[in-house]
Amino acid sequence: MQTRYRPFSLWRIRAITANTLTELTRLKVFYVLLVFALVLIGSSIFMAQFSFQQEFQILKDISLGAISLFTSLLAIVATARLLPQDIEDRTLYTILAKPVPRFEYVLGRITGVLLLLAISTLVMAAAFVLVLYLREQAVVHTTLRQMSGAPPDQMADALRVVRSSAFNINIFPGITVIYLKACLLAALTLFVSTFATSNIFTIVVMAFIYFIGHLQATAREYWLQEHSGGVITRVFLAIVTLLFPDLQAFNLVDDIVAGTAISLAVFAKTAVLGLFYTTIYTLLATFVFYGKEL
Amino acid sequence: MTSSPRRSGAEAGPAVAVRGLTKVFPVPFHRQSIVAVKDLSLRIEPGEVYGLLGPNGSGKSTTLKIILGLVSPTRGRTEIFGRDSRLVESREAVGFLPENPYFYKYLTGNETLRFFGHLSGLRGVALKNRINELLDLVGLSRARNRRLGTYSKGMLQRIGLAQALIHDPRLVVLDEPTAGVDPAGSRDIRDLILDLKRRGITVLLSSHLLAQAQEICDRVGILADGVLVREGHLQELIAIENQTELIITDASDELIREIESAVSRSKAKLIERRKSTTTLERLFLEATKNDKRMTKSE
Ligand SMILES: Nc1ncnc2c1ncn2[C@@H]1O[C@H](COP(=O)(O)OP(=O)(O)OP(=O)(O)O)[C@@H](O)[C@H]1O
Ligand SMILES: [Mg+2]
Repeated sequence: MQTRYRPFSLWRIRAITANTLTELTRLKVFYVLLVFALVLIGSSIFMAQFSFQQEFQILKDISLGAISLFTSLLAIVATARLLPQDIEDRTLYTILAKPVPRFEYVLGRITGVLLLLAISTLVMAAAFVLVLYLREQAVVHTTLRQMSGAPPDQMADALRVVRSSAFNINIFPGITVIYLKACLLAALTLFVSTFATSNIFTIVVMAFIYFIGHLQATAREYWLQEHSGGVITRVFLAIVTLLFPDLQAFNLVDDIVAGTAISLAVFAKTAVLGLFYTTIYTLLATFVFYGKEL
Repeated sequence: MTSSPRRSGAEAGPAVAVRGLTKVFPVPFHRQSIVAVKDLSLRIEPGEVYGLLGPNGSGKSTTLKIILGLVSPTRGRTEIFGRDSRLVESREAVGFLPENPYFYKYLTGNETLRFFGHLSGLRGVALKNRINELLDLVGLSRARNRRLGTYSKGMLQRIGLAQALIHDPRLVVLDEPTAGVDPAGSRDIRDLILDLKRRGITVLLSSHLLAQAQEICDRVGILADGVLVREGHLQELIAIENQTELIITDASDELIREIESAVSRSKAKLIERRKSTTTLERLFLEATKNDKRMTKSE
């Protein structure tokens, strides 16, 4: 049974990833999704009183806002306890006593969380699109009934207005960006948890970073107006940007709701930014974890 | 697997080598620090059962963790089969049972072993068979589909043992393998260790239960405050060279008088004469043995 040792094994990482998913599933974190469903249902009942343009706008606004909030919350809460718990319970001893390099452990853990977030985002997005579609169909039917005597081209125009105010092509890149923001937050949480003293500490720090992160772009502009862009200022700003990622950049919900097109350039830039941050934080977490005394 | 012949002694060099090992734990916000292990050197030969003995806090667990690369030494080196403990690949040939092992509560016994099997690079039918074999060996077959959160302490210890043996390692490191286990359970664990030894597997264990260590260890080292104060073959350490014990059943008073008079006629001296008593352990085992132990796991 002695096989040659492999310094890197996707098989081992897969085992840790699968275990992370099992853990989070059995801890019932998916219940967050039920809360999302309630928000969705609740808001559709509340909106019956508006015109359909308003209704679709509010539905998108609330749903995308909720997807963004819930994935962020899930990313932070699910990740914060993974590593400290393993150290505290000494389950890490049994894992690392097997031929598992520490980076594989970190990689397996973060991949598990990212998968969980992907599943959650997909489920929420599907529920949202479904509700939007059903509402659109309902409005289409009412319109058809109301305009039953009107000439066909007028009717076609009316239907086009309904359809375009319900769906626009921005929804999917918008949700992708929301997912990437959650990935970034998960990786950052993992990094913070490598040196945090408790889960509460990690969550409080992350909440802090979350708010600062949404404000930092504005603050940076203000700062640059006041100060000249010298070397020290730039270094300082770089550090701030690393510790407090510009989360506002991932907020494309307003554009989607307003129906303004998200250019491919903006989408690509944001996506790359998200992946870059996620990678950097995972590397930092691995680095700290290597130096850690268990 | 178990059927393949072991190459015990085929590889030159010791199973475990510890040289000049010192571990200092800094105490945060204080000037002093704790010296857990002080200039320790050990050499454990392949196929040996070595017992690291010592009171609480003497540095047993710390030493074992350093050997497994879980804790980094302040000074000195440790090796497993010639490979530095700091290298991940040195862990390929080792199975480790930490003290008071704690596993994922949400996994069942079966899933736990599968997880650790995957980490050890096993998969498929080979892994499945190995899991069945081990669950049988530690007597948890009937509890295999229950979550570990519902296991008793002794059951956790046994799943921990199974986990340590999953990849059929050449060296098994056990930190207080019988802590919290009842007498019958610890006898089972003792038998299991003796069986490992028979198969040529090296065992390094820590304990402060001396009677038990005496039953299974070939060699022991005694730690006190991180210093190795005694080391050697058990028989040599505890034998009293010039004394002999006789245990006789159904001896008549006459026979005993004869033996005593023979002793007094010779140059030898009778030091003590007493009725044999059973040990509390034997009594306990006798009284509770109506259940076949290893299968009574839930
Ligand atoms: N992570 C740590 N930080 C600080 N001190 C530690 C740490 N781990 C162990 N120690 C100290 O090192 C010493 C040896 O501890 P160790 O756990 O190795 O003892 P032990 O022989 O296993 O004891 P026991 O029989 O109670 O298990 C103790 O004084 C302990 O307080
Ligand atoms: Mg100990």
